[in-house]
Amino acid sequence: MSPRLHPLSVPYRAAETVVRLGWPLVFVMVGSVSITGRIGLVVVLVVGGLALALLHEGARYHRFAYDLADDVLDIRSGVVSHRRREIPYTRIQNVDLSRNPVQRALGLTAVAVETAGGGETEVTLRFVRADEARRIQSTLGERRRGDAPGDGQPERELFSLTRRELGLLGLVSLDFRFVSVMIVILSLAAPSMAERLRPSVGGAVVLAAPALLVVVYLLAALLGGSRAVASYHGFKLRRSGGELRYERGLMARFSGTIPLDRVQTATVRANVLARTLGYASLVVETAGYAPGDADRATVVPIADRDRVLSLARSIEPFGSVDVERPPTRARTRYIVRYLLVGTVLVAVAYGIDRVTAFPVGWWVLLAVLPVAPVLGHLQWRHRGYALQDDHFLARNGFWVETVTVVPFDRVQTVFNAATLFQRRRNLATVTVDTAGSRSITGRQPAAVDIDRDVAADLLERVVAALHEHVASR
Amino acid sequence: MDGDDPEAGERSRVESSAVGGAGAPGEAEPGRNDLPARPAGLHPRIRLVWVGWTAIASLLLGLAVTGLERALLGTLPWLGPAVLTVVFGAGTAHAFARYRIWRYRLREESLYLDRGVLTRVRTVVPYVRIQHVDVRRSALARMLGLSTIVVYTAGSRGADVVVPGLPRERAADLQHRLQRLATDADGTDAV
Repeated sequence: MSPRLHPLSVPYRAAETVVRLGWPLVFVMVGSVSITGRIGLVVVLVVGGLALALLHEGARYHRFAYDLADDVLDIRSGVVSHRRREIPYTRIQNVDLSRNPVQRALGLTAVAVETAGGGETEVTLRFVRADEARRIQSTLGERRRGDAPGDGQPERELFSLTRRELGLLGLVSLDFRFVSVMIVILSLAAPSMAERLRPSVGGAVVLAAPALLVVVYLLAALLGGSRAVASYHGFKLRRSGGELRYERGLMARFSGTIPLDRVQTATVRANVLARTLGYASLVVETAGYAPGDADRATVVPIADRDRVLSLARSIEPFGSVDVERPPTRARTRYIVRYLLVGTVLVAVAYGIDRVTAFPVGWWVLLAVLPVAPVLGHLQWRHRGYALQDDHFLARNGFWVETVTVVPFDRVQTVFNAATLFQRRRNLATVTVDTAGSRSITGRQPAAVDIDRDVAADLLERVVAALHEHVASR
Repeated sequence: MDGDDPEAGERSRVESSAVGGAGAPGEAEPGRNDLPARPAGLHPRIRLVWVGWTAIASLLLGLAVTGLERALLGTLPWLGPAVLTVVFGAGTAHAFARYRIWRYRLREESLYLDRGVLTRVRTVVPYVRIQHVDVRRSALARMLGLSTIVVYTAGSRGADVVVPGLPRERAADLQHRLQRLATDADGTDAV
């Protein structure tokens, strides 16, 4: 019995196609001179287009069938050229479900099956019923692991985001990506704004620069917070056999699986705000089957730090989070760095003030300079590494602190690097590469700015630990 | 003195296997017995390749600067040639230093690389993690009969493990040897 897609997929996909192709048409029509005479033509085109799309999608719907056979996922599709794909369950990497608000209203869910490399790597079922989608997701997971149906442990809920936690997430999330756009806009608007501001505001202008920072922060908080709330509303994490399953989303719902045997690293992450409130998040990196095909998933968006740590330990049983700090001469580097950044900021503000006659109030920024040593110290204090029985731990970052745990049997290549400045102070950085490291922020677990001899020794110890753990597997 | 000669402990093991010492596993294969007991360097001709690239870059840069200078200032006609000379000089010095520092070594269980002028990087690639090894030749290198091998692991920085400046036969030999060492090493699942 080969199940088919949901019947409503036909009108939905047809409408989607018409909208997608119709937009340029709308622009052209609006741009042309006499629109009233054209309305009839437009209507005919749209209706005709919709009819064609419905026919096309109807034919595709008729030809599309999928079957969860014994060893393979069998997919038949194609109107003109028939196509049959048989994907062995073992090559299925991820099953993700998604539905946007319209799809939700219609009871449709899109299923995206990611498969191991070579040729096309994705199979999509657009669309199926919501419960059918869940059935597909759990069955594919079972078959991939080789469990008998209904075998294995029942699903266990590990974490569910409360309203309070969601609110906190909204408070502490910051999204600074708009800053580059803002800089461009400001640099264009500054000269004309200078004209208008100078005569009227006068002395209050001194506060311009810090006020700008506050505005930037508030915008970042607003953008970050709303994005986080929309993404993680109703977040639930469940464990079913050898995989974690999450679902989340306010307007659009997403659901994905994290195969536990593909987990490369686990990271406990918290920015300054979250840390002061005692909260953190947990992010897990998994490996794909193709090199560089890694994925990272937020397993806990925000929770009490101890809870996050215990959840992390249930995924990767590491020890304590105590780390060895880098030597104090590393701290000097950070202090110098922050002083340089501060000086550059003051210089830039002064330059803007001079060149554009925009009253920037640059001298207020001078007050920032004494803060540099404090920031440098904090950066140093939040840095460290640890070599445990089965794991390598790396802790880095003050503004956003991350504690990354790497099981030794996931270590790939190990690097010991020292820049010119590091060599001057007899420091080096040891970086541990895993199959999961190509994530968006791309920061790899590393013991940064440690003593040179310690680094050389650490390099060998990590490699030795890797060999021990791989051999004993 | 570097204070980081991690091979010191391993060297004796490799040397004993090179001499045909008995007892250690995996010595029967011909590949292992002629692992270099000392860190090996690159072929001297690689300096020509690097200097070649520097020459091209400095030429382009010099032309760009001259063009810009002529368009914007007009008062510093010597700027372009000066930039060209400085960049070429610096690039050549860098190439020579780089050649002098570059070392690689086939250790018992891993490949070890030591390189870098401004940033000194030492890399250890365990054989059990090697997925495959490619041989690459840029246009310039091909003219001089040199190749580069690229060692891929499942890690995200897989393409970072690169050994340039190998004569063609040496590169092919190293490629095969690494691939054999990789398959010999335990580990069907390299992740």
